[in-house]
Amino acid sequence: MRDKFLFIVVLLLFSLSPGICLGDDIENRLKGLEATLKAQGEMIKEQQEVIKALKDQLETARQKSGPTTRDTASSEKEPTHDNQSAKESADDKGWKLTGLFGSSNLANPNISLTLNTFGYHSNLKQSVLSGRGIPGYTNSGLTNTKGFNLDSAELGFFAPVDPYFNLYATIPISEEGVELEEAYFVTTSLPYGLQVKGGKFKSGFGRLNSQHKHVWDFVDLPLPYRAFMEGEGITEKGVQLTWLPALPVYALFGIEALQGENATLFGSDANIGPHAFTAFVKMSLDLDADSTILFGPSVITGKTKTDTVAENTVFQGSSTLFDWEMTYKWKPSKQKSLTIQGEYLYRTQKGNLTDNNTELTSRLSRGQDGLYVQAVYQLGLWRLGARFDALNLLATEYSPAGEQPDFGSLPWRASAALDYSPTEFSKIRLQYNYDKSGRDHAANNEIFLQLILAIGAHSAHPF
Amino acid sequence: MMRFMIAALMLLLSAAPAAAQIKVVATLPFIGSLAQEIGGDRIEVVTLVKPGQDAHYAEARPSMILAARKADILMYNGLDLEIGYLPRIMESSGNPNIQPGAAGNFDCSRFVSVIEKQAGVDRSMGDVHPMGNPHYVFSPKNIASVASGMSRALSEADPANAGYYKHNFKQFRQKLAKKQKEWRKKTLRGKTFVAYHKYFEYLASEYGFRIIAYIEPKPGISPSAGHISALLDLMKRRKPSAVLATYSSGAKEAEYVGQAAGIRTILLPNDVGAAATAGDWFSLMDTVMNSL
Repeated sequence: MRDKFLFIVVLLLFSLSPGICLGDDIENRLKGLEATLKAQGEMIKEQQEVIKALKDQLETARQKSGPTTRDTASSEKEPTHDNQSAKESADDKGWKLTGLFGSSNLANPNISLTLNTFGYHSNLKQSVLSGRGIPGYTNSGLTNTKGFNLDSAELGFFAPVDPYFNLYATIPISEEGVELEEAYFVTTSLPYGLQVKGGKFKSGFGRLNSQHKHVWDFVDLPLPYRAFMEGEGITEKGVQLTWLPALPVYALFGIEALQGENATLFGSDANIGPHAFTAFVKMSLDLDADSTILFGPSVITGKTKTDTVAENTVFQGSSTLFDWEMTYKWKPSKQKSLTIQGEYLYRTQKGNLTDNNTELTSRLSRGQDGLYVQAVYQLGLWRLGARFDALNLLATEYSPAGEQPDFGSLPWRASAALDYSPTEFSKIRLQYNYDKSGRDHAANNEIFLQLILAIGAHSAHPF
Repeated sequence: MMRFMIAALMLLLSAAPAAAQIKVVATLPFIGSLAQEIGGDRIEVVTLVKPGQDAHYAEARPSMILAARKADILMYNGLDLEIGYLPRIMESSGNPNIQPGAAGNFDCSRFVSVIEKQAGVDRSMGDVHPMGNPHYVFSPKNIASVASGMSRALSEADPANAGYYKHNFKQFRQKLAKKQKEWRKKTLRGKTFVAYHKYFEYLASEYGFRIIAYIEPKPGISPSAGHISALLDLMKRRKPSAVLATYSSGAKEAEYVGQAAGIRTILLPNDVGAAATAGDWFSLMDTVMNSL
């Protein structure tokens, strides 16, 4: 630019000099000269601005490309408006870290730590609580202690392994020790909407089963989950295949082959080799811009050997658990939402029940069921939830040795929860349970005050 | 079941011939609008986040996963803005075209001169974006280079129509140059504003005005009474031109603060489609520039 300017000035001088020599109407010429100079001055100003803009651009481009050097040879320059095109060439082919998984780095996976701690109180004695099962369903008691409870500090790891696999691990650390709750890979590059998950993972069975504790809407799982799966549901070693076809509506089809170690459903020594199999379909529709429904059936079946059917017995046979899930979510804005969710579960068990004392074996064939329905209303940072869960609704037959024992009244429970999340990384929750699942006249009035805090990598929220 | 499977297969087969158009899935409305501007009728655009929804807090609905499953190109804002849902959508889609590093993974922020990059941040500072301010939607300069990137990405995905995309981009650029002349006439240089969230930093740096304070004490943190009263004191002293917020984020708070300080409140659409007058990116910018 400057060269050009000098050239023009020199040219001007040359072109002017003869005029001066002539001496004739110098005034006119001077005026002309003045005008030209003025124009030149303006031009300089303009050009200086352009230079400045270019310099700025160069600077930003330099900052942008930073220390990483990239192959810029193949850049096809596309002139943009405002004289800016310099910075684009650097990014033509090279892949910049996207930041999708937070501040990406290769040396470390994304790590998070989630603290789940709660205070607990009940009107029942501690000894009663720890012996309080659900007669006819499970004889293992409640695990909460009156007073302070530390559920866990849960470590989460995730990162892409390579262009073909993502790897996840969930490691809750509690006072009892370290547990490898989940460790699994997910494929990302299979064709036709297929995806394989393998390792130890939460089964895709049902709705709540695949959710982590810290995203539950209540402190505890509903009764049917406790009755049929115990603990935190079906978390098993195995492999899962899902297929999401490119249909006009969302329909996810999945099958799993699992080791079958869930103590309540299968018992840990039911069979050698994988012996539990699941299949599920999840369908979803957007009813309008703000509301969505998600629904579908699931089934898990496998060989069973457990001692949880009744005191001093061993059951050997097979169990099949069916589930129908339904979720409706209305979310007009981030300030407001309503989620109504429910699952109906039905279990059949067929096999032999052996009494440990008498060593007498009788044929057991029973069907049992349960459901829960919950609604959570969110307003700003607050959420108010209500839940009703019950067992023994439609299927109640239980016939060891042909007789129907009386387990007492219908097991049911009602809960209310109020939670407050100052940010998406912290949550404090107050929950009350009116629990009649003990099937006697005593109600268990439980109260929880829970605190969930998360640090580290930002994990994506489930729907 | 069998009948359903057959129906499903038939649907799959019938869907195949329609695949002539490039399927673009855009996370945010302005990205979808820009893609449409460049891709015209040769592409089919699905936008995941509703206009007027806060882009930080969208949720991965199954329909979004399905859309991503069918996408040839996924275009997103980047800079961690969609971190709460996009990683899940991408993984659950199982679509190899759009995974990080694949040709169909188009991070718009790659073409942006990012401002406000922050080192040494933690979450006690609120919902900070260490990679820089992600709200470059109101930045004509950056949007121009995003659009140029889109035209190249589309040309690569669909070389047969490369000329068409280039032509559309040239038209876009010309229109932008014309519009920018209009927008530059607006005298914003030296003006000061108070804003709810860090939505307007790119606009401020391009048009020479300043945001002197925020209603949010920290990004993503709701204001406390103490913060508001300190803010009102500051506003009395500094007398900013107006209080800025978007319809979907901080409108109520901004109106309250504006009224209390006796200063005009300007509510702006945060994205394309968030106001009746903001049908595409140009009209979004027109709406914003006319309101300021």
